[in-house]
Formats: sequence, C-alpha cells, structure tokens
Amino acid sequence: MPYEIAAVLDAGPADGVDPDEFVRAAVRWHFDPETGSPYWLDRAGRLGFDPRRDVRGVADLALFPDLTHELRDVRATDLVPRGYGTRARVLNVFESGGTTGAPKRVVQLDDWMRHSSDQVAGRLRAHGLPVGAHWLTVAPTGPHLVGDVLQRAAAGLGGPGLSIDMDPRWVRSLIAAGRTEEAEAYTDHLVEQCRRVLLSQDIRVLAATTPLLERFAREDDLLEIINGKVEAIVWGGTHMDPDTRDLLSTEVFPDVRLIGMYGNTMMLTALLERVGSAASDPCVFDPVSPYVFLSVVDPVTGERVEVGERGRVVVSHVSRSMLIPNNAERDTALRVRPAEGQTGDAVADVAPAPTVAGEAVIEGVY
Amino acid sequence: MAAVPDSGTVHLDALGPRGACRTRVPDVVTDVTGAEVARLSTVPPVFVTRGLAALRKAGPVPAADLDAILAAAADAFVSDTVGGLGVREYESLVSRTSGTPLPVVRASTRGTARFVQEARRSAGRGRPVGAAADRRDPAVREGGAVWTRRGDVFAVNASGNHPGVHRLWLEALALGYRVAVRPSRREPFTPHRLVAALRGAGVPDDRLVLLPTDHRGAETLVRGADRAVVYGGDDVVARFAHDPRVLPQGPGRTKILVTADTDWRDHLDMITGSVADEGGTACVNATAVLVEGDPAPLAEALASRLSALPGLPPQDERAVLPVQPLDRARALDAHLRAVAEGTRALLGGEGIVDDLGDGSAVLRPAVHQVAHARAPQLRTELPFPCVWVAPWSRTDGIAPLRDTLVLSALTGDGTLVDRLLAEPTITNVYLGGHPTYWMAPGVPHDGYLSDFLMRSKAVIGPP
Repeated sequence: MPYEIAAVLDAGPADGVDPDEFVRAAVRWHFDPETGSPYWLDRAGRLGFDPRRDVRGVADLALFPDLTHELRDVRATDLVPRGYGTRARVLNVFESGGTTGAPKRVVQLDDWMRHSSDQVAGRLRAHGLPVGAHWLTVAPTGPHLVGDVLQRAAAGLGGPGLSIDMDPRWVRSLIAAGRTEEAEAYTDHLVEQCRRVLLSQDIRVLAATTPLLERFAREDDLLEIINGKVEAIVWGGTHMDPDTRDLLSTEVFPDVRLIGMYGNTMMLTALLERVGSAASDPCVFDPVSPYVFLSVVDPVTGERVEVGERGRVVVSHVSRSMLIPNNAERDTALRVRPAEGQTGDAVADVAPAPTVAGEAVIEGVY
Repeated sequence: MAAVPDSGTVHLDALGPRGACRTRVPDVVTDVTGAEVARLSTVPPVFVTRGLAALRKAGPVPAADLDAILAAAADAFVSDTVGGLGVREYESLVSRTSGTPLPVVRASTRGTARFVQEARRSAGRGRPVGAAADRRDPAVREGGAVWTRRGDVFAVNASGNHPGVHRLWLEALALGYRVAVRPSRREPFTPHRLVAALRGAGVPDDRLVLLPTDHRGAETLVRGADRAVVYGGDDVVARFAHDPRVLPQGPGRTKILVTADTDWRDHLDMITGSVADEGGTACVNATAVLVEGDPAPLAEALASRLSALPGLPPQDERAVLPVQPLDRARALDAHLRAVAEGTRALLGGEGIVDDLGDGSAVLRPAVHQVAHARAPQLRTELPFPCVWVAPWSRTDGIAPLRDTLVLSALTGDGTLVDRLLAEPTITNVYLGGHPTYWMAPGVPHDGYLSDFLMRSKAVIGPP
C-alpha cells in the first residue's frame, strides 16, 4: 500500500486533507521498514508502543517521547526516509541555535521545502503583502533555517530578496564572554549594511529580528526611510514582548505593518501571525495543518493548560520528509483556540522560559 | 502601554517622556517577607531608546525656573501625596521592601528634601573659580572660561540599598542635563516619588524620566546616555573603569583609623555609629577600623555596643538593623563565614541571621578581629553592620588605607593627615571625630559630580 500512503503525504498546505489521516499515513511511512529512515527504524523497537498500530491521529503523537536531543549526534543521512530511494533531494541540513548545548540537526528535502514555502507565502499574501516587491532580509543564514525561509518567502512572492548575513552564535559567544562592546560593534556593522541597502534600493518589505528592529529605533534617518517606503516588516527569529510590539508598531514604525513570524528549526518552517489582529491584541500564531501541531502544556505535569493560560510550547512536525514529534521548546506561550480548519492549539505572546537566578553574593552594598 | 486607571493595587508606572506608562504585565514588587506590595511597570529596551531620544530633543530645564521648582518638589517629597502614596505610606513601603529600618528611611526623607532644595547651589559649588556660569558674564568678555556641559543626557542605573542614593542625580538635572533614572527592582519607591515630585513641581516630562527596565534595558540606557552613573560591585567598577562616559559607584570600603595619640574610648559612639547607623547598608558605613596598638579592646567594646541592638521588623518604629528575605540573609551569612575564616569573631561568629519567622531575617552585626593590617578581609564590605578590626602600625604605612571612600581619621598627627589627603585612592578624609556617614549638600561625595559632567571652555568676545 505504499502508493496509497504516497498520495495523502504529497498533499499541499491548501489541499485540506484530514490531519488525522495524514498523521496515520506519515507514521506508517516513517516506521515501515521499506520507507522509514534508518533513524526511526532503529528506535522503533524501543518506543514501547507500535507507532503503526497505535497512532490513529494527531492526538496520538503524544505517545512519542521527546527524542530531539538525539538529533545532536545522528548522522544527517540517517534522517532521510528510505522510501525516497534515489529520488531523495536533500537541500539543506539545518542546525538549531545551540543555546542549550550542541546544535540539533534536521534535513530539508525538496518536497518539504515546497510545502513550507507555499504555506509561508500563502499566509503572507493573506496579510496583503505586495507581490513583486523588493525585500531586505537581515537574518541568520547558513546552518539556520530562518534565513532560508525568509529568502524563499520573498521569492515565493515574486520579489528579489536582498539579504544581509547575521551570525547569532558569534554574538552569543561575545555576550557570554562579557565582550559587549564587540557585540555592539557587530550590530553596528549590520545596521551600516542595512543603511546602504535601504538608502539605495526600493525596499518595500523588511524582514529582521527583534533586537535589530530595536536597534533601528536609535537611527532617526533609518526610521524616516523605513516609514517612508517600507510597507511591511516581518519580524522573527527571536521573541517580541507585547509592550515592545505595541511601541514598535505605534511609535517607531507607525506607517508600516508589523507581521510576526514564529518558527524554529525542529518545526522546519515558520508560522505567521494570525491576520487581522491589532497591535494591542496578543500576537497569535496558528499551527499549519497537517504538518505542524502545537500544544501548550504545564511544564511540570505535561498536562495541557487551559485556554488563555501560559505553558510550555510543544511542537510536532509531521511530513513525508521528517517526523519530529513532541519537541518541548524552551518557549512559553498562552494557549489559544486555533483558527478554523486547524488542529491542536494556537499560541499567543510567545516568550522565553523564565530563568531563576541563584543567590550569589556580590560584595558591596549595592 | 496605556494611560493609567486607578485601582486598589499600588502601581509604580514608568514615567516616560509623554507621561506615565503602565505595561501589560507589571512586575511584582515584594517586601522582605515575600508579600506582594506593589506592581512595577518594567519597560522594554525600545521604550528606553525612545525615552532617551525624547530627552535629547528637549532642552535643559530653564535655570530661571529651577529654584522655584526644586523648592516645590522638596516640599512635595516630604509632605504631599505623590504618585498615589502619602509620605508615611511611602516610607513604610521603602522600609518593608529594602529592609531599611523605618527611622533611617524617615530621616532620609527629610535629608533628601534638603538636597532637592539645595541642588542648584550644591551643583554650583563644583564650578572652577576661573569659569563663569554664563557666557554673558562680563568677566568673559576680555577672555575667560565658561562652564559647559559635556553632554545632554544623564542616566543613573541606581541601587536600592539606601534611599539617599538618589540625591546624587539631582545635581545633573540642576546643571541642565536631561535625566533618566533606572530604579532598582528592590526599592523603586524613592526614585519614583522623587521623579514624580519634580515633574509635579514643573520639570517637564521630557526632561526627567523614570525607566524601570530589565538588564537589556539597562544596557541600552547606559550606552545611550552621554554620561551615566552605575552602581554595583567590583565587577561593575572594572567593567566601566576605562569608559570615560560612565562613573561607576562601587564598594565604599569606608574605614576608620585610630592612632596611638588618640583614645578611641572618647570616640566609641562615633565608631559604633559609623558601622551601624543608617542600618549599616550605606557605602559610607565603616567596613574596617584600623588601630595603632592592640585592637582587641576596641573590638570588644564595639562588639559589646553592637550586640545590644534589637532585632525588629524593618517597619518597626524602633528598628535599627537591616532586614532581608531569609534566603538572602542565609546566603550573606554563609559568605561571611567563608570570608571570616581564620579571624577572631567577637560578634556574629555564630551566625548573623535572626529569623523573624515571617520569611525575613534581621542581619545582626558582626565584628571580627584580623591579625594584621594587610588582611584581605578588610576589603569585604557587606550590606549590614559588619566590621573588621585590625592592628595598624607606622611600618604598615598608608597601603592598608587605600581604596577608601571615606576615611575618618582619629589622630593628632598632621603629617599623616597630609599624606592621607594626598593619597589618590582615598576619596574623602574626615577629621576630629566626625562619623563616616556625614554628608551635606555642596560637599563632594566622590568628587563633585560636576567634575564628571562639566568642563570649562575658553571664550573671548562680546556676548
């Protein structure tokens, strides 16, 4: 029956397939000795349940443990399902940011890239983004997924994407080493590159991280240019607290639409802010049926929190190319009912997990 | 961020360049027992950036208006309801959150009002005799100097150890700087009251702002200002040591020196007060006492005096000792024990935590005698009455007296006093039995603040 399976797994984001059916088919694909990846087939026996028998739909993804830590050491080639045979086209191996240890790796295959790009472009069009407009993307590229998603989104909307590179790992290591001056100099370097592009090019869509947008707020000339000719800012890659979002959209960039993007490597795509919310409303991200499912859980008990409550975000990615179930993110968010046609939870006001500071004594009275 | 509706909870809003701002989810301010007492609106870095931009656009508070504004603000600070809090309520909250004894807070309210009143005159005392305050001064016409600001925007990353720390930045405002204050999370009430009182008295909102903010916001604040004062430990001092725009305020390591020609028994009140008055939490409280001759009798007498201080909740009318959350008190206790190893404990050797049973603890005084004047313990300043007593001899010289904010010298030796005054790392020298915590408007604390904020420019020609 591999042919039957193949049909539903090729569904595009707009095809409206039944998510339960999709998940069933995907799990069968990933755990069938003929089609599954070496990685999943190796673990199948140790799961304590039979995925092909027990996973009947989206809700049963909860049966899987969070195994994403293993993605730090698995060989990328072992992640590719055998069922692709010689047709497998691995476009990228992406790595997570590496904030909590060594980076985790995932593969982006050609077919997934098309589904991902289609859903991102579709949602950006729903936001009314201009088609054919020039973009400036300032985001991490290379091993990082976000730059790739943005550049493909620009292309998907028919716009030439100008881009500036960003190396967040270097910035993080500078900050960890207390070399804040150098981190600041690096940011200045990014801003200068943006200035040149913004001055000379007809940029109408700007995609950047929150810290960079905050940094732009110091540059009056850039604010004038951006407010003058940019129609939309797509922000993502890091969190944006609601007060910052409100200030950026009402005071700093009053003439530009701000569109939030939430994604991470294990999701293998990005979620766009729900259309139609005001700057003062919570920023809601809907899942992407049938590929990305979210749930918001109590970090201690693992139980789903009530709608409107904050909890830890758990993400599952399901596609023909990869299965990454139950990845517990470091993010927290409010649980929100998903939009019509979506399964599981939507999330709002995504924020980093709170850190608890220890009781270290620093001498002195201050 | 919206305008501010009224409610039962005490809200400390950010005081931005366009009025008060309340964030969506204000932080909880707790007292030393862990009970919630207020909500503090902590603004994000971009609010800080925009706030600084607004300050930069605005001009100085007109000098002609200053005295009237300062006088009105001083009155309001000491007696009015400001930001929804009456003065008694304000003092009680400061005491409960910072753990500072209530009588210390009350005395500080009056003291701060005096500093507000005197801020312009006080700032002017730092002006070089050769520089005119105004270019229209006839003395400049034939060639001379005019006193000018080094920048426009002054920022303070404040501490919450003592309400008196906020007296410093008043001079910056009086000198024409626009000022941004980042309050400490522990005690935001005093800067909030002071900023609100000044704004209420006529300082426009875009000249003086209160920006409660997180660590990233603090970075943005200090980086975005022309001049900044930052409070902290040795790490902060080291970090900004080579930044000419930043004046770090680190540990005071305040000391008392008693030479053989002076009988310390005549000054025991002053020595005890220098250690423990103000709750022992100020940078001008004595950390070390150096005695020429045998230090043991002084250490014993000091321990005896300090042991008599009662352990009370901070908001008690008779409180004299600082109070902290129990966990922090225990952490300080453990730290003290580790540092004190090898010294002779005369007081506090069994622990300094006096558990009040409500989640908080009094920090009881500690007196330790060290073997020699170069003992490393003399550099350990802790936020309660904690003093190290050391022997000192002429052969030790002034090396053990270096790195001192206030040195109160009980001595009749004029040559020694001259050497102390000449020592660059001793910031202030008090003589004749004055306690280390003495301060007055117009007298420098860490140099005149204007040394850091102002410069003299040559000017010649008609006005």
